[in-house]
Amino acid sequence: MGRLFTPMTRGKKRFSAVTALIVAGVFLTLPIILSVTAMAGGGGGGSAGGPPPEVLEQRKAAAAAAAEAGESVEGEAVKIETGRDVYYKTEGPAIGMPAPITADNETFYPRYNFESRVLLWVANQQHLYYGSFVLAVPIFCMCIEFAGMISKDKAMAKKYDQLAYDFIRISLTAYSLTAILGGILIFTFLTLYPAFFGYLSGIFRPVMHIYALTFVAESGVLYIYYYGWDKMREGVLKWVHLSMCVILNVIGTVLMFLANSWIAFMMSPAGVDEQGRYLGNIWHVLHTALWNPLNVHRILGNMAFGGGVVAAYAAYRFLSSNTDEERAHYDWMGYIAMSLGVAFLIPLPFAGYWLMREVYAYRQQMGITLMGGLLAWLFIIQATMIGILFLTTNYYLWQALGRMTGGERFQKYIKYLVFILVVGLLVFITPHTIVMSPAELKAMGGQQHPVLGNYGVMSAKNGGINAIIMTTILSFIWYQRGNKVPTVSWSKFGNIFMGCFFVVAQINNIALAVYGYFIPANVRIGLSVPQVAGTLSCLLLMTPLNLAMLKGGRQLGPIRWGQIPPRSQYAIIMLATAFTWMMGLMGYIRSSVRLFWHVNEVMRDNSPWAYTHTIGFAANVISFNVLFFWISIMFVFWLGTLGAKKVVIKGPVSEPIPAGASPQPATSH
Amino acid sequence: MKWIPLVEGQMPMQMIAELAICILFFSTCNYLLKKAGVGVPKFWAGILVWCFVNLFYLKYRIYPPIPFSVRAIYGTVSACGIFMWVSGSQEEWLEFKRPIINVLDGNTAFTKVLRTALLLLLPIGLGAFAYNSLLPSFDEPIELRTVHPAPPATTKVHGKTYVLQTAQQPYRIDTEGKYDPAYSNAHIVDQSMGRLMKDVNSSEDNPWDPNAKGYIKHVREGGEIFFQNCHFCHGDNLNGRGLWAFAFNPIPANFTDAGTIAQLQETFVFWRVAKGGIGLPGEGFPWASVMPPWEQHLTVDEIWKVIMFEYWHTGYYPRTWD
Repeated sequence: MGRLFTPMTRGKKRFSAVTALIVAGVFLTLPIILSVTAMAGGGGGGSAGGPPPEVLEQRKAAAAAAAEAGESVEGEAVKIETGRDVYYKTEGPAIGMPAPITADNETFYPRYNFESRVLLWVANQQHLYYGSFVLAVPIFCMCIEFAGMISKDKAMAKKYDQLAYDFIRISLTAYSLTAILGGILIFTFLTLYPAFFGYLSGIFRPVMHIYALTFVAESGVLYIYYYGWDKMREGVLKWVHLSMCVILNVIGTVLMFLANSWIAFMMSPAGVDEQGRYLGNIWHVLHTALWNPLNVHRILGNMAFGGGVVAAYAAYRFLSSNTDEERAHYDWMGYIAMSLGVAFLIPLPFAGYWLMREVYAYRQQMGITLMGGLLAWLFIIQATMIGILFLTTNYYLWQALGRMTGGERFQKYIKYLVFILVVGLLVFITPHTIVMSPAELKAMGGQQHPVLGNYGVMSAKNGGINAIIMTTILSFIWYQRGNKVPTVSWSKFGNIFMGCFFVVAQINNIALAVYGYFIPANVRIGLSVPQVAGTLSCLLLMTPLNLAMLKGGRQLGPIRWGQIPPRSQYAIIMLATAFTWMMGLMGYIRSSVRLFWHVNEVMRDNSPWAYTHTIGFAANVISFNVLFFWISIMFVFWLGTLGAKKVVIKGPVSEPIPAGASPQPATSH
Repeated sequence: MKWIPLVEGQMPMQMIAELAICILFFSTCNYLLKKAGVGVPKFWAGILVWCFVNLFYLKYRIYPPIPFSVRAIYGTVSACGIFMWVSGSQEEWLEFKRPIINVLDGNTAFTKVLRTALLLLLPIGLGAFAYNSLLPSFDEPIELRTVHPAPPATTKVHGKTYVLQTAQQPYRIDTEGKYDPAYSNAHIVDQSMGRLMKDVNSSEDNPWDPNAKGYIKHVREGGEIFFQNCHFCHGDNLNGRGLWAFAFNPIPANFTDAGTIAQLQETFVFWRVAKGGIGLPGEGFPWASVMPPWEQHLTVDEIWKVIMFEYWHTGYYPRTWD
């Protein structure tokens, strides 16, 4: 590769770059092309565990009885049995083995003297944490590198480039760890749940091969992208470099979609008949009822999580910095990472609503178990975590106003925003099923409280979360205005328009939330569309309008990067921890909703652990997972610092950094 | 504090509005006091607001009493909100911290005494809290009851299997006998309107009209069944306060509450009525329901009709998915 980038003429260089791109593209997609033949073969092979011996005996006896009855055994072999798809309701040849009917013994569930489910839970969660992180970070890198490339300011371009490099460097060690954890996860499946994993891998045989090969492709592109950074930093080669990142993200997304198809199949199986026999259509197995909502939800979730982790890294470095330059750099890095994370956090609740809607549409009892039944209290905890995320984001933005001259103009109004946020959150987290003693129940006169009970249902909760999101958008707009005053001729009109827009959107939101109590449920669910539309309009119309008003505006002073109270950095760390905890919680909820099924309504879980844990136990395991992840990721961060060469930072330490500009990077490669 | 009534149907918004007015009032007072040079220090302002909301408003203003678990959630969230307010800017944070720093750093006799008192009282207080927490309690244990457990995919009533996701209420029909939920929904009046029917003279609205047919006729039949069998517990206003209601703990379901039948599909209610408390799944632990399995006393048609009456009388629409 090195030779490819030795000095050449401009034309030759361009030709080589394009050739390299094509060759790399062909090389990297080769595994997928080769896998198509595997796809043609279809899944549905024999399962490792297979049916229990008594079932096999029964089948043999049935075959013998049929032979005795004079039926042709040869004819049986030729005859193709058909089955009916449990979801798509189409007929197909039953070419796979039925799902194993397991029993609570060492054959189906080999075990240590410990709960196998918890071991699998921890292995799975750790793999997911790292997987999410390494899938999200390259997307950030792509955005930041692109921002640097289109920036007209050379210094800024360099700083963006450095930041993107810092991001990918952090993720590189995490990438190896992801692969290791993936291996641990597979071994855990094979050794503790062989029958189930055998069945699943029988159904998804070709997909699993593609998955493995896609992982190889992902690794190849990642290493070229990382190690080629210095070589491809100018001209066309820089665009080639960015293209590598695009390819990296496409492959990463495909990788995630494939993994999602397995869990979607476990929740809402398709492509198999009632006995779990594969019917020959791999697309049906992949494209189950919940696959796409899960895909969208996970992409957004990964991005928000990845942003949070990188921001926490920056916050940690900020707090341990010894110089103003370092503090300035990591303040800026934390801000960028957090902004990216929050940008994906805002649409996340809407993707969540879509997912839940599809869950209800797929199986009503699954939806009720989640939202109104057995797991409802976990959703209250989830709502609390979402509230923490938004409150912390707002808090950080208010603190960040303090590092801008002019930011104090807005800080005196914070108390009103606090009121809206707190009321919105209280409505959002008020439980429908209240925990109470029998004495309290008696005093209340019934299961539902006449005042607060109304906050416990979806109509009010939609209003609550939209009010919170709109307030967050307003905080962001204030932040954008922190040290600037619009000078465009229509600024007065623009300000009035923006103010009215927010007020009308908030009134619309609250009015629809109240109106929701007086109309049929199907119409009420539809009301969430205008509510969301109001919120998204605030985001998509008001933010650009604000930027347009600020273009060429009067600067009140510089952004004093690094001069932000430490509690803002603790807020970032809290944000990242809340993300991690919530991911663990939601993963547990999604998995638990299958109750006593390995594959919903197709393969029953007959292990001794096919029960729902208490909330306390689940919370403890989630907390353990969060702690383990953060300890290990700190190790990864530390490894990252070992590889970085420290450079002496030359910069105006005491001089303020111009507004909009970023500080000097603290490290170099 | 019952001299300002909580208005039926408007209580949730009334509570938020009252809190907003109170906070605005405090804010204005503090502004005026500051103008007069005697503003309340931020430290005390924060504590006062928290105490007002949690120890006064939620405890004494809202009736019936709010269970402790919910007040604990509200108390924590409002404490977080107050922290965000008092530390929103560096100046405010410094102002908030000042009394604490003064006590910790002060060299006057008063601060020394206060410091010593706090040094003694804080561990004693924490010890007392720990002691109380560990003290054996003879109270009834707290219940985390699942009021609406997930229904099964199918239920068998009088020998026929019903798929709960797709089954339809057979009496939700228009005057021509066709299944038409939109028609029946159009003849429902919200309870807060203070009346049961849109037009007492219309045979399509008034169940007691001799010419009533279709949906509204079956509502009347459902009402007859309700008052023969259900109202003893669920009450003649369907609010769960019937003649026998308070013999049970918890009292029977209040159908006028937005959190009960308004949240459910008719087929869910059908399953619950047919199978009763004894038919609750494991998820419904501790199965605190004494409702009899009505399939042993009513026909399938009677169950469907009584359900329709419940929706009509409360003014709620059953949940649907399309």
